[in-house]
Amino acid sequence: MKKSMYISLIVLMVMVLSACGSEKKEAETEEGFKPSLDTSLSCNINVAGGYDNFEALEAEFDRFNEYYPNVELKFTKVDDYNNMIGTVLNGKDAPDIYVNNSWMYGREQYKASIDHAEDLSDPALGLDLNCIRSNIILNTNDGTLPMVPVFSNTYGMLVNNDLFEKEGLKVPTTYTELVEVCEAFREKGYKNPMMGFSKAEKTSLFTVTIYPYFCGTVANDAEAVRKLNALESSAGEYLRPSLEKIVQFLKDGCVDLEACSEIENNYDAVILRFFEGDVPMMTCSGDTVSGTKKRESRSEAFISKPFTYTFVPVPMSEEGAYFLDIPNLQFSVNKNSPNIHMVNEFMRFLITSRELNRMAQSKGLMSPTRDLSFDNMYAAFGNVPESRILSPEEFGLTDDAVKQLRQAVYGVGTGVMTIDEATAGYGTFSE
Amino acid sequence: MKKSFVIIVNVIIMAAILTFVVLYSRFENRDSYRRQIEHFEKTTVTMERVTENYLEGEQRICDAWAQYINRGNMTIKEAMDYLRASHVIEDSSTHLIFLDTLRGLSNQPKQGTTDDYSVSYERVDLLEDASWISDIGESINITRTYTNPMNGEQSLAFCNRVTLQDPESGTYKDAVLMRVIPISELEQKWVFPQEEFANAELSMIDADGDYILKGYSFKNSSFFEFYKSYNSTDPTSSKELFDRITSSTGSISMLNSHGKECILAFTPVVATTGWTLLGFVPAEDLEADMENWLLPGVISTGLLILFLFDQFYMMQLNRRLQVAVMEAESANKAKTDFLSAMSHDIRTPMNAIIGLTTIARKNLGDAKSTEENLRKISLASNHLLTLINDILDISKVESGKLKLNPLTFSIVETVENLVNISQPMVREKEMKFSFHIHHMEKENLYTDQLRLNQIYINILSNAIKYTEPGGSVSVDMREEYSTVQGSARLTYIVADSGIGMSPEFMETMYEPFSRQTDSRVSSIQGTGLGLAITKQMVDLMGGRIECKSEQGRGTTFTVVLDIPVAERQPDESRFDGIDVLIADEDEIFLRTAAEELESMGAVAEQAHSGTEALEMIVRRHESGRDYRIVIIDSKMPDMDVVEMICRIRSQVDADKPIVIVSAYDWSDIEDNAKEAGADGFVTKPVFRSTFDNKLKEFLGTEIKSVEAEEDDSDLKGMNILIAEDIDVNWEIISCMLNMLGINCERAENGRICVERMRTAGDGRYDLIFMDVQMPEMNGLDATREIRKLENSRASTIPIIAMTADAFSENITECLNAGMNGHISKPVDMKMVIREIRKIKEMNEKE
Repeated sequence: MKKSMYISLIVLMVMVLSACGSEKKEAETEEGFKPSLDTSLSCNINVAGGYDNFEALEAEFDRFNEYYPNVELKFTKVDDYNNMIGTVLNGKDAPDIYVNNSWMYGREQYKASIDHAEDLSDPALGLDLNCIRSNIILNTNDGTLPMVPVFSNTYGMLVNNDLFEKEGLKVPTTYTELVEVCEAFREKGYKNPMMGFSKAEKTSLFTVTIYPYFCGTVANDAEAVRKLNALESSAGEYLRPSLEKIVQFLKDGCVDLEACSEIENNYDAVILRFFEGDVPMMTCSGDTVSGTKKRESRSEAFISKPFTYTFVPVPMSEEGAYFLDIPNLQFSVNKNSPNIHMVNEFMRFLITSRELNRMAQSKGLMSPTRDLSFDNMYAAFGNVPESRILSPEEFGLTDDAVKQLRQAVYGVGTGVMTIDEATAGYGTFSE
Repeated sequence: MKKSFVIIVNVIIMAAILTFVVLYSRFENRDSYRRQIEHFEKTTVTMERVTENYLEGEQRICDAWAQYINRGNMTIKEAMDYLRASHVIEDSSTHLIFLDTLRGLSNQPKQGTTDDYSVSYERVDLLEDASWISDIGESINITRTYTNPMNGEQSLAFCNRVTLQDPESGTYKDAVLMRVIPISELEQKWVFPQEEFANAELSMIDADGDYILKGYSFKNSSFFEFYKSYNSTDPTSSKELFDRITSSTGSISMLNSHGKECILAFTPVVATTGWTLLGFVPAEDLEADMENWLLPGVISTGLLILFLFDQFYMMQLNRRLQVAVMEAESANKAKTDFLSAMSHDIRTPMNAIIGLTTIARKNLGDAKSTEENLRKISLASNHLLTLINDILDISKVESGKLKLNPLTFSIVETVENLVNISQPMVREKEMKFSFHIHHMEKENLYTDQLRLNQIYINILSNAIKYTEPGGSVSVDMREEYSTVQGSARLTYIVADSGIGMSPEFMETMYEPFSRQTDSRVSSIQGTGLGLAITKQMVDLMGGRIECKSEQGRGTTFTVVLDIPVAERQPDESRFDGIDVLIADEDEIFLRTAAEELESMGAVAEQAHSGTEALEMIVRRHESGRDYRIVIIDSKMPDMDVVEMICRIRSQVDADKPIVIVSAYDWSDIEDNAKEAGADGFVTKPVFRSTFDNKLKEFLGTEIKSVEAEEDDSDLKGMNILIAEDIDVNWEIISCMLNMLGINCERAENGRICVERMRTAGDGRYDLIFMDVQMPEMNGLDATREIRKLENSRASTIPIIAMTADAFSENITECLNAGMNGHISKPVDMKMVIREIRKIKEMNEKE
């Protein structure tokens, strides 16, 4: 009796004392990342970009702080980013890391943005570049790598899976299936089986549906690409198959342009319209998809009747859909950063499958890594055969050429111009 | 009260105290936390005042410039010239922007140029709608943080509408005057002043929640988005919360991007339209958690330690009580046993005394029977005396009052006494008895002789007592080197072939009243106190006592004592070349005696038998080198000592001194030996001084007949004054002394004794025997009075205490009072005679 009582009391005392002690929890150790610098170092790292907010990156800051608790990282929005980044890089507030774009490479206007960038291909930096899909990594003339993609973008359509399931239909994988599914939905009373933004040429439903198809027609034709890039008038003919396809697409009644014209913008409006729950398919870019999560709570229709949705490629050919793989957001390191070692350490931390996937999932964008299966939203793109994955970065189609295509297909799609006018006008279109 | 009940009550009290402390701590913690939040709110409000003052100050400058420009009907160039002249802060800049084109001029050139002052806000989403800029002096007009198009710096601007003249058309156009301040400048100034809010951050938001100024921990571009991203909420609650934040002062708890609880304090910036100042601090910074946990922790540990200590103390106390109870029970039983034993032990000799006295009285005519009865009465009386002495001693030992009274004494006397005392029993039991000494160089020692005697006598008498008749007892005494300076180590070993002791008894043999349970022991007289007293005395003298015993085989006691050596030792003579023969079958005695004699210069030869001794004496005689002295043991194995003396005297020489040594009482052979020609007797063991005396005596230095020692006739005619109040005591002592021819005079008390001495003439008395406890004046006071008398004899006359106060401290008291000696009652006539003779010899020397 006495002995057991004493033991109980001693146990009680130990428990009390244990409870009094502070619980020190070790930071979760990541298997893949091991700090290479003194973890007690302190400094400030500023990341500049054009986003109003970048919570996904801020979450990465927090994770990096688990290793380097004294490093303060912040994201700063720069107004008129593309025009101002050069000025900012030369000013007092020069960031340590900044957002860059492939299309800036080789253009005099954005020379500062490239000149300030550290060569990230340097093996000494230890960046795991192999985790990124090679077709979206910028090819430069001198073999340097001034920027590395942290998100990728593509074109496709949001699919209301619940509606497909409810109506017993399968998500289409060929153009014929697409037309048939649209017809089936319409027969079941759905006024708009497929919709998209049509008010402006940028990321209009015409561009979203036909741009991947167009790339499929010219990707293997270097001469065509050269002519297209040179904005030669004769290169307009390379657009013809795509323009004919969009006309056919409209004729097949997949979309009601009048209904589409009610969608005010290519972002919020597209998402909120899709969340109404009566549109089985909504064309958009990956950028738009990234905004869906946050807007779920803003849509009363979605709150009252939520549904599952995914993003899939639009099957505009009988062979199946193309996966147009485009780098979205790329990071450069300011080689003049006073904290260059810690900045590179952060990049080494960030440029890994795990962190890039985490950040992409958080942001709602497509990850630039080779594995897309981790995110249900984009998993369908991971199933596209490699032969049908196309990247303008890889086959060399310039942004200017793409702009010409966008103008032409928008003109034909909206009926402003004929196919002949559009092909003839290639190289002359301006925004 | 049961122990478990006490423990439960303790635990309940501890739990109650701990619960109270924890609850109180929590209450205090919460209260402290609440006060800290209030303090943080107030600090945020203070910061709002500071911010407002700063903003108003900056805005006033902007207002003043705008008023001046408007009054002056200036062109943009003129206005900019004015602004350049007015502008003194190097890091800030000023822009004038036409609202129709969103273009204008800056007071600072564009980055990388020296003369390009044109500035465009076309791509900065800031001035498309300028309705938020109120009229001059109405409110603070400040932009959100934006990128200064001239230098790329994150900045904000204080704005005012101005009207500028178009120099070409002469018309007036609306424009905005912007006082642009880099955020980096503000960040350095805009921090919480208090040290306790070192981790606190500030932000300023507009009515939509968009940051105007943004702290590091604030995420997203909108505070409301930031809140929703990391805190679970629903649209209705969010709206209510945001309305509250933008319209009132207060605080809320929310999670930051790390999932940590933080406190958000908010207060409207009064001078603006819908702006709110936000203070943000980790909740743990406002909690005094550690101290509050420390308090219950320390209290609980303290209570537990106290509880365990109390339990331990209670256990110890109970254990001691149990032991005390057992001891008390044991002591009680021992006392009962003791009383029972005492009753028996006292009644036994008393019975003998009373019975034998009755028998003697009835047989007064039969002298032989009367003498035998008186001898037995004497034995019984002595036993009774020993018994009483032991009881008194043990009571003193147990009360811790036993003290040592050191005196200078001769170990020779002690040993002689020891042998004398033991002889009657040795002879009665016909034991083989030996007493050997080794290297006894220091004979005069300084310690409590009485206690030393008691130790030695107790051990030796036990050995004799518990050895069957015909057994053997041997005593070894040796002097060794002592580590105590000025002392000699005396080792006293008594070995017997007695009944021995059981191991169980040996564990408790030093405890009082312990006697071995043995049918043979119960028939032996004893109090069970002797060993207890002995052990206590040995301990008191700083010595050690050891015992080895085996039942049926015998016991060996060893006592080792470091005894201080007296300053003065007996004088020694040299006997160089003197031939001495020692004859004994005892090898040890032969060796030790020879060593002693040779160390004194004599030539000692040894004979192991009577025949050998006789042959050696004859051989020497024939060679004309007779031994100067022959020492023969009284018990030679092959020849009776008397016969041997006769043969020596008849065959060799009738004059050579022959000394008999014996470990036994020689009274049986004394007459015959003397008749045969023995010159003297010496008791074993023979000390160095004994040899010295005997050699001197028989070699003519100091010749004195043996008979003289035993003859008390020399005491005849002495006059002794005896102070004794008890008649019977007076009668006994006076009768005994009268038998020796000594004249006795009685003083009935101390005062009479003093008077007698005052009036006595010189030489009237040779000695005073002084009782101590007497009416009117005790013996001590009487002695002191006598020593004070003017009579010269009074100061020197020997005064011997004769008292029943027999303890050593009583002896000391007597000596301190001025007495010269002490004889305890009942008196031993041998001691009385020895004391008288000492005094007589002393008187004769004087």
